[in-house]
Amino acid sequence: MELTLNHRKEGDRTVLEVGGEVDVYTAPKLREKLVELVGEGHYQIVVDMTKVEFLDSTGLGVLVGGLKRVRSHDGSLSLVCNQERILKIFRITGLTKVFPIHDSLDEALQDTD
Amino acid sequence: MRDVELHVPPDVQYVGLVRLVVTAGARQAGMTNERIEDLKIAVSEATTNAIQAHRREQADGPITLQFGSASTDQFHVTILGAGYIPTGVDGSESTAAGERNLGLTLIRGLADVVDFQGPTTKASVHMRFTVGLTPPAANVDSL
Repeated sequence: MELTLNHRKEGDRTVLEVGGEVDVYTAPKLREKLVELVGEGHYQIVVDMTKVEFLDSTGLGVLVGGLKRVRSHDGSLSLVCNQERILKIFRITGLTKVFPIHDSLDEALQDTD
Repeated sequence: MRDVELHVPPDVQYVGLVRLVVTAGARQAGMTNERIEDLKIAVSEATTNAIQAHRREQADGPITLQFGSASTDQFHVTILGAGYIPTGVDGSESTAAGERNLGLTLIRGLADVVDFQGPTTKASVHMRFTVGLTPPAANVDSL
């Protein structure tokens, strides 16, 4: 399945909708998109992963890289994820302690941290 | 289900195809959807590692996967090719990058049994999954 990436502004946040499969083949596109967004000054990013069908360690690495980039500008990167199969990957790798993960986009946008 | 052998070129574009083929075999073996999700990630991680190791080592030849169900409640996958000796297996620290370590953590957390064999230029990863049950809780809690 193709990787889809769409972004939009929601107040002071930038929502990046990710869909499809994020693996070693497609993750570079996600990395490029995050680099591009940060380069354009988007430092408060919400990555909406509700349409992600598959995610592996390469995708996790890209998200960690994105988090480091926005933090270097005092920004934030939070995730929206409500699929157990994806949440399980974050739990096993201990990344639930690294990323703020929200059940819904509304919840993520209301989070003031 | 008898063992099936799959040979793929050492190119990351084939990782998705490997996931499709192995999960189709697991479904035919009666694996539950929940376990198929675990299998899919573990196979993807191990295949990705093997392909990347092939590139680093400039190894020739394909990545080989052998999979099947030796019994009605077990499904196994072996990935043969260049690879790595992960931290702890040989008592030395792995030089693997962060993503590879995350991949190892996922493989260990999702498969019921994992066995790594070195050396790095001719490595194998053997994984076993119970067809119908969730992995032991201790497998995840210990991480």
